[in-house]
Amino acid sequence: MGHLIGKEYCLEHLIEVAKSIVLAIHKAPQITGKTKIEAEIIWGEDILPIIEVMGPVAKVMRYVQWDYETIKNCYDKGESPVIILIGGKIASSNLNWNCGACGFSTCKEFNAYSKENKGGGQLGGPSCNWKVLDWAMACDWACASAWQYRVDNRIMGSVGFATNALGFMPNMDAQLGLALGPPRDMVYYNREEMHKSMSYELDKQDMVSCVPNMFTCFPGGGKPMYKTKDDWWAPPEFMGVGYSEQVMEAYQQVLFEQVPEMVVKHADKIAERYKNKNK
Amino acid sequence: MKKYVEDLNFQGEEYIGEWTPWSPQDIRRKKCLLEAARLMVDSAFTAPFAGGVPSLEAHIVYGQEELEAIARKIEEIAHTNESWKEPFLYEAVMVRDSDVIIFLGNTRCHETPLDAGCGMCGGTLDCGYFYDKKTHKYGLVDITDRSSDKMIDGPLCSARVGDLGYAVGSALWTAATLMVDARPFASVGMAGQKLGYCPKSGMVVGVPVAAKAKNPFVDVNVDYHLINMDKVLDNTRKIYQTTRIIRGFDYRKWIPKPQKTDGED
Repeated sequence: MGHLIGKEYCLEHLIEVAKSIVLAIHKAPQITGKTKIEAEIIWGEDILPIIEVMGPVAKVMRYVQWDYETIKNCYDKGESPVIILIGGKIASSNLNWNCGACGFSTCKEFNAYSKENKGGGQLGGPSCNWKVLDWAMACDWACASAWQYRVDNRIMGSVGFATNALGFMPNMDAQLGLALGPPRDMVYYNREEMHKSMSYELDKQDMVSCVPNMFTCFPGGGKPMYKTKDDWWAPPEFMGVGYSEQVMEAYQQVLFEQVPEMVVKHADKIAERYKNKNK
Repeated sequence: MKKYVEDLNFQGEEYIGEWTPWSPQDIRRKKCLLEAARLMVDSAFTAPFAGGVPSLEAHIVYGQEELEAIARKIEEIAHTNESWKEPFLYEAVMVRDSDVIIFLGNTRCHETPLDAGCGMCGGTLDCGYFYDKKTHKYGLVDITDRSSDKMIDGPLCSARVGDLGYAVGSALWTAATLMVDARPFASVGMAGQKLGYCPKSGMVVGVPVAAKAKNPFVDVNVDYHLINMDKVLDNTRKIYQTTRIIRGFDYRKWIPKPQKTDGED
């Protein structure tokens, strides 16, 4: 006997769904059969550090902004998404295939390079590409599994960047985050949470900046005009190419000042969890 | 405008069976499987891709000669690397035992990377690792020299390789949903790429698919390239004929019977 009313129990059940999805992650087929995959589930207050790290990055990276604001808005409304972290041990090769896909002639040379340069990228790297395939298949099975449960979801590099910086999954070389729920349609596609966050002007300017060939005038003169406004000819505008100190400064500030600040705030606490687990 | 003419002659019967190989009933079974393989490819095209960018191409290959050519190419590759030798020879057997092969390739991983500075390829904060090892002008990679002494002409954009993994994963998810057997193989992908399948791709994965009582891709024995169903059957043909020759009777006149034991009439 029972009577469930409201959405609370759905949000709670998301955690159970996430556990089932983790089963699918571990069941995913592999090409090498030698790639270690790990998965963890994070929800409620424990996603706050992730949101905090994504915050400054969102200021300089639009796709991170979209993920950040969607997750944050849901959390603030009391509809916290559940995040599944999917990690892969992919920065070294135990295959000895010497296939060349990594850019080195042998796995041995790649492993030596990787030892020196490991973890320098936003999402990890360097990577054995066969192991990337295995890891990606596990991530894909996570997404497919979530769809089978009819839970809105999106696999996110932005979350992977944040959790990597915070020290989650210390034994994994690369990680991505699968955001699950809340239980409604189109959380991560069409992005209802982002309604009214972008003005018409900004939206239009984005298209002009990101799809410039659509707005190009006759190129015969050698330096075509760009149609950035209704009366694009009065006066005409041309796209310039050059180094942007402003963009680079903002980027450096986020990556080397603001993100580390958030990491220092949370990393010890997260590291402690892994220490306690290993005791 | 050409109108669709509906065929209402809905009558017929289809006898379907697994034995004997390449018999009409076996070919009908393979045709059913081909439909599943096509759905798998559709699923691969809907997989999540970085930035939603199309970068996938696929080939579906079937037929006795076609599968034999792939199996032989895998055997050729197997003998070029000690680490590949045994597993790849086993996988060549699996190719011969499969019904349809799907090749999935990424058309961008070697030429038009994601350019997002993710660092997955070389562990740096930009795409320099990839471009420094490629022939390119202002970031446009020149792939016209296709000669390479390596099996795969790396480095590759690992974000795009990840996209290929998602595509393969989705194809396999659909296979599991449709309950047909399928496995992803590097050996099949490399052989397919060398044979010219997925011609625009920098990396190819091969997925043999089968619908048989016994999944051809699991539970193999040691020395599988020497001891497998084809070899066992051929060995039976070799041994059994000779076994008949070394005895003889005219069955119309006399057939040997078990000897009567004591107490029997």
